Amino acid sequence: MISQELIELTVHKHTKNIRRGLEMLPNGLGRKSTALGDPRWTSDLILSTYYMAGTGKLPPPDLNYKTGASKGGFDRLDFKVDGVFKENVDEQYDHSIVLNGRGEREDITIGIPTYGGGMSLGSVSLNFMLARAEAAKRLNSFTCTGEGGYPDALVDYKDHVITQLATGMFGVREETIQYAPIVEFKYAQGAKPGLGGHLLADKVTADVARIRGSSPNTSLYSPFPFHSVYSVEDHKKHLDWVRTINRDALLSVKVSTPRDVEMVAIGSYYAGANIIHIDGGYGGTGAAPQIAKKNIAMPVEYAIPIVNSYLEEEGVRDEVTLIASGGIRSGYDVAKAIALGADGAVIGTAEAVAVGCSHCGNCESGRGCQVGIATSDRQLSEFIDPQWGGTRIENMYKGWKQQYNDILYNLGLDSIRELRGRKDLLVYRGGN
Amino acid sequence: MDTSNKIIEHRKNLPRTELPNKVADEGGCGVVGCASSVPIKGKHFLTALDQMKNRGNGKGGGAALLGLDPADWGTTASILKDCYIYQIAYMDTSIIEELEAEFINSSFDVAHRYEVPTIEDYTSIGLEVEPPTVIQYYVTLQSSQLKTFKEELDIEDDRKATDEFIYQNTFRLNTKYYASHGVKQAFVLSHTKNLLVFKLVGYADHVLRYYKLDEISAHVWIGHHRYPTKGTVWHPGGAHPFIGMNEALVHNGDFSNYHAVSEYLAQRNIYPQFLTDTEVAALQFDLYARVYEYPTEYLIEAIAPTTERDFAMLPPMKREVYRQIQLSHLHGSPDGPWFFIIGRSMPEQERIQLLGITDTSMLRPQVFALYETDDLSIGLIGSERQAIDATLRSLSEEDDRFAAKADTYWNARGGSHTDGGAFLFDVDLSGEPTLVTMDKFGNEITKPAVVDNMLYDDLVELLPDNLHKYLARHDTYESLMERLVNHVGNTETLPEVVGLLTAILDSWHLLSNHYNGRNRMLVENFLSRIFRSYPTINKGGFEGVYINNEHRDQLRAPEEEEQYLVMDVAEFPVEGANSAANFIVDAYHLGWKRVLSFDWRGQRFAGSGLGPSSDGFRLDVYGNPGDYLGSGLDGAIVYVHTSAQDQVGQMMKSGKLVIYGDVGQTFLYGAKGGEIYVLGNAAGRPLINAVGKPKLIINGTCLDYLAESFMAGNPLNDGGFAILNGIEFDNQGNVSELDTPYPGGNLFSLASGGAIYIYDPHTKVEDNQLHGVKLVNLMQQDVDLVETYLKENTKLFAFNHYGEKEQIMQYYVKVEPRKLKALTSH
Repeated sequence: MISQELIELTVHKHTKNIRRGLEMLPNGLGRKSTALGDPRWTSDLILSTYYMAGTGKLPPPDLNYKTGASKGGFDRLDFKVDGVFKENVDEQYDHSIVLNGRGEREDITIGIPTYGGGMSLGSVSLNFMLARAEAAKRLNSFTCTGEGGYPDALVDYKDHVITQLATGMFGVREETIQYAPIVEFKYAQGAKPGLGGHLLADKVTADVARIRGSSPNTSLYSPFPFHSVYSVEDHKKHLDWVRTINRDALLSVKVSTPRDVEMVAIGSYYAGANIIHIDGGYGGTGAAPQIAKKNIAMPVEYAIPIVNSYLEEEGVRDEVTLIASGGIRSGYDVAKAIALGADGAVIGTAEAVAVGCSHCGNCESGRGCQVGIATSDRQLSEFIDPQWGGTRIENMYKGWKQQYNDILYNLGLDSIRELRGRKDLLVYRGGN
Repeated sequence: MDTSNKIIEHRKNLPRTELPNKVADEGGCGVVGCASSVPIKGKHFLTALDQMKNRGNGKGGGAALLGLDPADWGTTASILKDCYIYQIAYMDTSIIEELEAEFINSSFDVAHRYEVPTIEDYTSIGLEVEPPTVIQYYVTLQSSQLKTFKEELDIEDDRKATDEFIYQNTFRLNTKYYASHGVKQAFVLSHTKNLLVFKLVGYADHVLRYYKLDEISAHVWIGHHRYPTKGTVWHPGGAHPFIGMNEALVHNGDFSNYHAVSEYLAQRNIYPQFLTDTEVAALQFDLYARVYEYPTEYLIEAIAPTTERDFAMLPPMKREVYRQIQLSHLHGSPDGPWFFIIGRSMPEQERIQLLGITDTSMLRPQVFALYETDDLSIGLIGSERQAIDATLRSLSEEDDRFAAKADTYWNARGGSHTDGGAFLFDVDLSGEPTLVTMDKFGNEITKPAVVDNMLYDDLVELLPDNLHKYLARHDTYESLMERLVNHVGNTETLPEVVGLLTAILDSWHLLSNHYNGRNRMLVENFLSRIFRSYPTINKGGFEGVYINNEHRDQLRAPEEEEQYLVMDVAEFPVEGANSAANFIVDAYHLGWKRVLSFDWRGQRFAGSGLGPSSDGFRLDVYGNPGDYLGSGLDGAIVYVHTSAQDQVGQMMKSGKLVIYGDVGQTFLYGAKGGEIYVLGNAAGRPLINAVGKPKLIINGTCLDYLAESFMAGNPLNDGGFAILNGIEFDNQGNVSELDTPYPGGNLFSLASGGAIYIYDPHTKVEDNQLHGVKLVNLMQQDVDLVETYLKENTKLFAFNHYGEKEQIMQYYVKVEPRKLKALTSH
């Protein structure tokens, strides 16, 4: 038996080392490491995120914090600017967006054009969820419970927590729906479209099982469809049902990006959704088998302009808030998504990187996360202190705010909302 | 070459179009249909269609009628008998003459031309798009044309040749006047005998009102609200019903293989012209019915193939034939959630039919119903039970041969080897019209024979002693209700009379001749009358006070002696901010501990929104509650004194739910706890993805997918479970075992926790129904558990079913999860 004291010592030591590493790596130790990252999340992007999360400022000039090396997607897009692109400008701009375009309910305005994506308790640790919630509160934005239920510890943050209703309805009850200013219906997730969630047995600890009402150490599968929604009028009924439970909440419908994504979007609009959230294929997941990750669904940079144009043609664009997600890594990615036609973006992985994720890809295994993010193990979870983590995430977004300021300054725009749909300000950098 | 190939070959002469790209997608819809041995007027559908408006979005509505009265159309019986009715929709009236010249007068003798009258101002009924002008032509094919065409086709039969001529004529007409990328000027609504289709951009009830069909009679009616989701410009041609030749088809659902079906049809020289899913289904139906001349059973098999366990259960000869059908047609059969209602005209036999066919994965809701008396028979099909009852109520209010409730209701199990998952109502119009109900295999469905028992005897046995004073020895339902009229408004006895009538409704299954909609209607209507005679909330001062939608503003907290609110749901909106469901939540928050809600007419979400820990609150439901009843329940008690519809108890966390009837689809989906008792049957996917500790008894059975992916704890340790008794009640009110306690092929699939206890004295449950689970014997602890819940079941439903320990041990089996590697290791 390992003594409690020894465990605590070990946790303390690891925590210290992780934090030290996060400080040192961007400042020389980790530069240009070939072991860190991949073409989408390059080592520069990871290190930049560590730097911003530590300081709240843009990283030094020799780190590329704007694009990755994937040779596709947002990495091929750039902003069209005459002359030199000025950085670190002093000017401040309005970064807020409104999450409601339909008159029937009160508007919710968030201070930044992003909110946190759903990561369930079980796929990630409670401390990480609390860190995200803390940052959301400070920035006047939101985080999301993911599909694993609403932990009691999050109730203090409820004005900044979106409750997610997914196909397994784990941990969802009227009470948790009533807490939330926004309810998110997760019909699909870009990282695993056509599949439900698989939370593998190792991660179904006693805590996770308790909140979900299941048994520990048995894998949990949420089904791929909502069994009560097999047709669009069922979808409308579904939204109406949640409106009976919480009359004031805004409703967000999260879907992946099938070939007829615009169809899904307009159907959701007619069913009463306020937010349409399209999740492309580059996103991450802590609850899916390897085979599903990253291999399917339309890239989000294609889906955004398709849905945006279509909603405009249908004459309903202003009544809907279009949110994009799936591998959005920096303020530049967010701005490009907005320029393509979204109102804002949902962020997942970047928040994890802010608190130490090194993109090792072991998320679905129970004790594979060496920094305490994608784990439900009690000890590993302690590597993240919610206040510390909250500051890290907040700082990262402060860095992104500087990026928005830089972009808006150079494009001559006055606010992030003005950037919406301005595809004309984007240029495609072809070649190799 | 046989006839079918000759027809297919000949179609090569038709103007060819490209394989279509869909311009619009179906979402889903509301459908309702009925077939009656006596003609009924269109207006009786208006309420049903109105109550199902939330299943459509006003972008398309349509209706079909079969079995017409010639007087309604300004013509004679012999013309109706001899002539095809070419019903054409004109969006542009300037082309009428040229169209008639080219497509009508050139080939047909027109016995009667009739422009269908409409109301004056389409906007007055809320329509935004002007509906088409509809002109009917009662035609026979000119003999020279017939002769030529028969030669071309090389077919002898006049009828076959004429049908095909008309089909091709229509195709050419639509191509010319309804080119999908050009200006839409006109198209053919319907073109066979004794069948009419109307459709427009709006809701189905607009169709009835605009074309003044409310006073028109027919033997078969179909109504459809469309919910399409793509496209900005809406055309009536995209609404349902769609025609092939002799049928009108409406569809609830969504095909995922529209292109595959289109390719399949293209191989037979059939090209859709209206570019939405449903049309190809109608074209397929026509192909199988008319070109291939399949008998109905094979036609249904071609569209909805029998698979998996059901296929294995078929007799060998059927398997052979079905295998051949599937080899030819499987790749063309529609995939995805769908439910079809089809009106079919068979003029050479003087018959018309109403068919309901459901997809074999049971993904769409459908309810069938039948009401039969010596005077008439009427069969109904609908997306929701409340639409059926709304139609019957409307009929009964005008014509007392009808009743507001059907004698019997059932769901179809798509692909079933016992009844085929498809049912039809066949009306024989030769002579005095009669209606026969049949399943896919041609087995006749009738209601059980009447028995001779006395109502008094039944009631005396079932009711508590204090209520016997209301009974009289030779009572009928009528005489009993008549005598009870004395108690209307009498506060001394009102609560006791409510108790009496509720007890009758709750014991309905035990009464003789309970398959009787008229008697049921009498009791329910009278109970509503009693409720309406309670002192109003404004007056107050009684244990129960009455409130309705008109006076909803008078809702207040209960005063001292007021124990329950009597809520008249009839006029409440179906959903939305002012819904009946929200009103109940408001009443609860004001402090009402009990609400007796009655005359539900399809309103949804009853009992939802009460929030956490609603213990101490009780809701009683009478009438026709809509979908999502009791969803999210967390502590409260809900008693439903009738059948419920779909999505009942979804996500339920705790509390008690008792249903004196059947429930619909996805019952208790994602439920986490609670105690639930169902007297009758559940439809597809009950208890699916449930976790924790819901405790369920279903006395009947369900369609399939019971408790799939159940993730509950150990039932012997307060975990969840279901008890399935597999029984029904015969017309004497006696318990009768169903053929099998579980008819489906997917019992408790992929479950990782919990258990199912099944009453299976004849060992009907087989291994091939189990996927990832196993049958085990009960242990003593299991027996004790089952006994406890059967005791409560007995109390609630007043019948004793093998509740002794020895019987439980002997007759029940337990299905429990296997420890699967896929679920536990990584």
